[in-house]
Amino acid sequence: MMYMFALSHQLLLINMSLFSSLGAFELGFIYSLVALGVFISFRILRFPDLTVDGTFASGGATAALVISLGGDPFLATALAMLVCAFAGMITGWLNVKLGIMDLLASILMMTALYSINLRIMNGPNIPLITNDTVFSILQPAFMEDYVWRPVLLLLVVLIAKLVLDRYFATQSGLAMRSTGSNLRMARAQGISTDRMVMVGMAISNALVGLGGALFAQSQGGSDISMGIGTIVIGLAAVIVGQSIIPARRFVYLTLAVIIGAVLYRFFIALALNVDFIGLKAQDLNLVTALLVTFALVLPKFNKMRKAKKG
Amino acid sequence: MLKAENLRITFNPGTPIETRALQGMSLTIQEGQFVTVIGSNGAGKSTFLNAIAGEIMVDAGRILLNEIDVTRIPGWQRASNVARVFQDPMAGTCEDLTIEENLSLAYNRGYSRGLSQAIKPFMKDLFRERLAILGLGLENRLTDRIGLLSGGQRQAVSLLMAALQPSKVLLLDEHTAALDPRTAHFVLELTQKLVAEQKLTTMMVTHSMKQALEIGERTVMLHQGQVVLDVSGEKRKGMSVSDLLQMFEKVRGEQVSDDALLLG
Amino acid sequence: MLAKKIKLGLGSALLAAIVASNMAYAQEKFVAITAIVEHPALDSVRDGVIEALEKNGYVKGKNLALQYQSAQGNTGTAAQIARQFIGDKPDAIVAIATPSAQSVVAATKQIPVVYSAVTDPVAAQLVSTVEAAGGNVTGVSDVLELEKQVDLIKRAVPNAKKVGMVYNPGEANSAVVVKRLQELLPNEGMELIEASAPRSVDVGSAARSLIGKVDVIYTNTDNNVVSAYEALVKVGNEADIPLIASDTDSVKRGAIAALGINYKDLGLQTGEIVVRILNGEDPGTIPSQTSSKLELYVNPAAAKSQGVELSEELLKSAAVIVE
Repeated sequence: MMYMFALSHQLLLINMSLFSSLGAFELGFIYSLVALGVFISFRILRFPDLTVDGTFASGGATAALVISLGGDPFLATALAMLVCAFAGMITGWLNVKLGIMDLLASILMMTALYSINLRIMNGPNIPLITNDTVFSILQPAFMEDYVWRPVLLLLVVLIAKLVLDRYFATQSGLAMRSTGSNLRMARAQGISTDRMVMVGMAISNALVGLGGALFAQSQGGSDISMGIGTIVIGLAAVIVGQSIIPARRFVYLTLAVIIGAVLYRFFIALALNVDFIGLKAQDLNLVTALLVTFALVLPKFNKMRKAKKG
Repeated sequence: MLKAENLRITFNPGTPIETRALQGMSLTIQEGQFVTVIGSNGAGKSTFLNAIAGEIMVDAGRILLNEIDVTRIPGWQRASNVARVFQDPMAGTCEDLTIEENLSLAYNRGYSRGLSQAIKPFMKDLFRERLAILGLGLENRLTDRIGLLSGGQRQAVSLLMAALQPSKVLLLDEHTAALDPRTAHFVLELTQKLVAEQKLTTMMVTHSMKQALEIGERTVMLHQGQVVLDVSGEKRKGMSVSDLLQMFEKVRGEQVSDDALLLG
Repeated sequence: MLAKKIKLGLGSALLAAIVASNMAYAQEKFVAITAIVEHPALDSVRDGVIEALEKNGYVKGKNLALQYQSAQGNTGTAAQIARQFIGDKPDAIVAIATPSAQSVVAATKQIPVVYSAVTDPVAAQLVSTVEAAGGNVTGVSDVLELEKQVDLIKRAVPNAKKVGMVYNPGEANSAVVVKRLQELLPNEGMELIEASAPRSVDVGSAARSLIGKVDVIYTNTDNNVVSAYEALVKVGNEADIPLIASDTDSVKRGAIAALGINYKDLGLQTGEIVVRILNGEDPGTIPSQTSSKLELYVNPAAAKSQGVELSEELLKSAAVIVE
C-alpha cells in the first residue's frame, strides 16, 4: 500500500513544476513556524489559542509598516515578533489573572487584533513588492529568488527548532511542559504556572508573528485577511505531522509538526493540480480536506493491517 | 515545625449548599514528628491538607511553617517547604513526561527554574540510586514515560519525589487508598522507611484506623472541621482499634445527643 | 489478492490520466487566470476575458490552453496559485482583484501579468506608474472617477449635505474610495459619514447606524456590501434614505441610481490586452487602462420607496431605466 502511495505521489510530483514544489516548500516552512507556535500552545500548554488568527496578520502588518516606512527589514521582523509576543502574553494574562476561559480569551484577543491590525496598516493592505526585505538583502547572486526564499526559510525554521528543542530541555522548559501536562502537580512542585502560561503564549505567538512577517516579505505585502484560518492550518500541521511520525521524544515532535506543515501545503499544491479529473477551482478546499483525511487515516489503516497479519 | 491556628474555611457561604469545612482547626506538629490523621467523610481532612499546602486559602486563622506565617502565600510559593503525595497516583506525576523528567521536576521543587539543563548527568546517577531502593527495576527505565507505570509504581515514585528535597512538612493524603493491598503495604513500608531515614515532619491522612494507630507517633482525629481527639505516647501505644472506635462514637454520639437536647 | 488488483488498477488509471492531461497541454498558447474569490463581478471579468480571447481567434481546446483557479479568499492559497502558474510557464497570467494581483506580481518579473478589477494599481505596487511602466505588468483598473460619482449624487439627491458610506474597512478598494471622498466632498459643501461592515452580515446594522444622520447612502463595489445589498435596501426603504450604488446590478436590487462599470465589459477590455500580448506585444509598453465604459442605470420605483423623485434630466440621460 505504501509503495502504491509513493508511486502515485511520485508521478504527480513530475506533473507539478519545480516552481510549484518550491512554492509549497516556501509556504510550508512559513507555516512550520506557525505549526511550532501552535504546538507550544495547543499540545504543550493544552491551551486552544485562536489568537494566532490575529497575530499572524499582526506580524505581517508590523513588519510591512516598518519596512514601508524605510526601516531595516531585520528590525521590522524582530519588532513583529515582539508585538505578537506581547499579544500572546495578554491572552495568557486574560486567562490566568482574570479567570477568562482559555478559548474565549484567545477569541477576545483575536477580535481585538483585527481592529489593531487595521490601525497598524492604516488600511487593509500594505504592499511590499518594491521594498527591500530580509530575502532580498541576504540573497546570494548565484541563486534565483524563488530558490533562495525556501532555502532561507528552511534555515530560519531549523534555527527555531533548535532553539525550542534546547529550551524545552532546560528547567524552565520542563516546568512549562509540566504546567500543561498536570497543572496541580506543577504548582505542587513550586512552579509559577501563571507565569509559565504567559511566557508560553508569548513564545508561541512570537513564532506565529515571525511566520507572518516572513510571509508578508515573501508574498508581496500584508493584508488584513492574511490571518484568517491560521489556527486551522496550524492544527492540521500538528495533527498530520504527529500521525505520520508518532514520536515521543521532543526532538522528533518538533520535526513532526514541521513535516506536517510542509505536507499540508503540498496537499494544497496537489489539489491545485487535479483539475484534469473534472474537479474545478471551487473544489480546492474539499480536495485538500480529503487529502488531509487520507493522511490521518493511512497510519491507522496500516496499523490495523499489521495487527491482522500478525 | 507546623502550626495551624484556628483555621476556618466555609465553602459556598450564604447559599443552600454552604459547607463549613474547617471550624477552628488548630494543630501543632513538632519537627520530625509523624502524625496520622483520621476522621469520617466530611470531617475536613483533605481540606485541612489543602489549606496547609496552599491550594485553598483559609477564611480565618493562621498557618506557620517554622515560625514563618505563610497564611496568605499562594500554594506554589509554599512548595519549597511543603511536599505532597496525592491520593490519586495520576495526580502526582505528569503522565507524558519520563520518569527522570518527573524526578527532575521534584528535584527542583521550590527552586527558581532557569535555562540550565533540566537533567544533568549527576542527577541521573542520583535518580538511579533512589529508584533502586524500590526494587522495581525502575532505575533502568529512566527514559520511559511515567504513564507506562502502574498506579502503585507511580505512587512509589511520587513518594520518592516528595522526599528528594528536604521539606518542612510532608503531607500524605490517603496515598495508599487507591492501591491494592499488597502494593499499599509496599508503599506504606516505603513511607515509614523514608520518613525515618530523613526524619521528615509528616502528616498522613488515612481511612484505616489500624494504620493510623500502627504508624507514626501520634494520631489525631478530626470531626466537623475540628480536632476532637489527639493521642500520642504511652496512651496511644496501648490503644486498639476498638478503643479508637469507641472514642470515635463517643464523640459522635455526644454531638448527636446535644442536638437532640436542643431540638427537644 | 483482490485488494492488490484494485490498487494496481487505480495506479494505472491515475497514470493514464496524468499522461492524458500532459498531452492536453501541448497546445499553442496558454493563459492562466486567477481571482482572489468567486464573486459575480469578478466572475464576469473572467468570462469577459475568455470571450475577448475567443473573439480574437483564441479558443480553448483548439489553439488555447486555459486555466482558472480561485484562491477561495485565502492569501496563502493565492501565493501557491501564483507559484503554480509561474511554474507552468503560461504566455500570460490574468490576476483579478488586488490580493491575487499582488501575489502574482511579487512572484514573477518575467511572465506577462495583466491585472483587472484593481482600484489603485500604483498604490498596490503592481506598477510604478499608470503610463507604460516598462516591466512585465499592465492591466485595467476599475477605478471610478469619483468626481463623476459625486456629481451623480448631486443630480439624484440635490439637497444632500451628509453622505453616508457603508464599507468593509478590510477591503483595499473601499479604503481608497473612502479616502478620496473625504477629500472631495468638502469641496462641494458635503460631508462623509462612514459606517464599517467588516463582514457581509454587518451591512444591515452598519446602515441602520446611519439613520437620521445622513441624507443619502453611497456605496462602492465593496465585496461585502454588494453581496448583502438587500440588507441595505431594506434600511433605505424603511428609513427613507436614498441609495446610490457604484455597480449597475445593484440598481436592479433596489438602489435608485448607479453610474457604474459593467464588469463583463471590464473583462472584455482586459482580454483585449491579453490578446495583444499573445500576439507579441511587450506588456511594458502597454499603459494601464481605466474602464472606458460607464453606464447610468436608474430605478424610479426604488426612488419612490426611498422618498425621493428622480429628475427628468436624470431619467433622460439614463442608459437603462429599471422597472
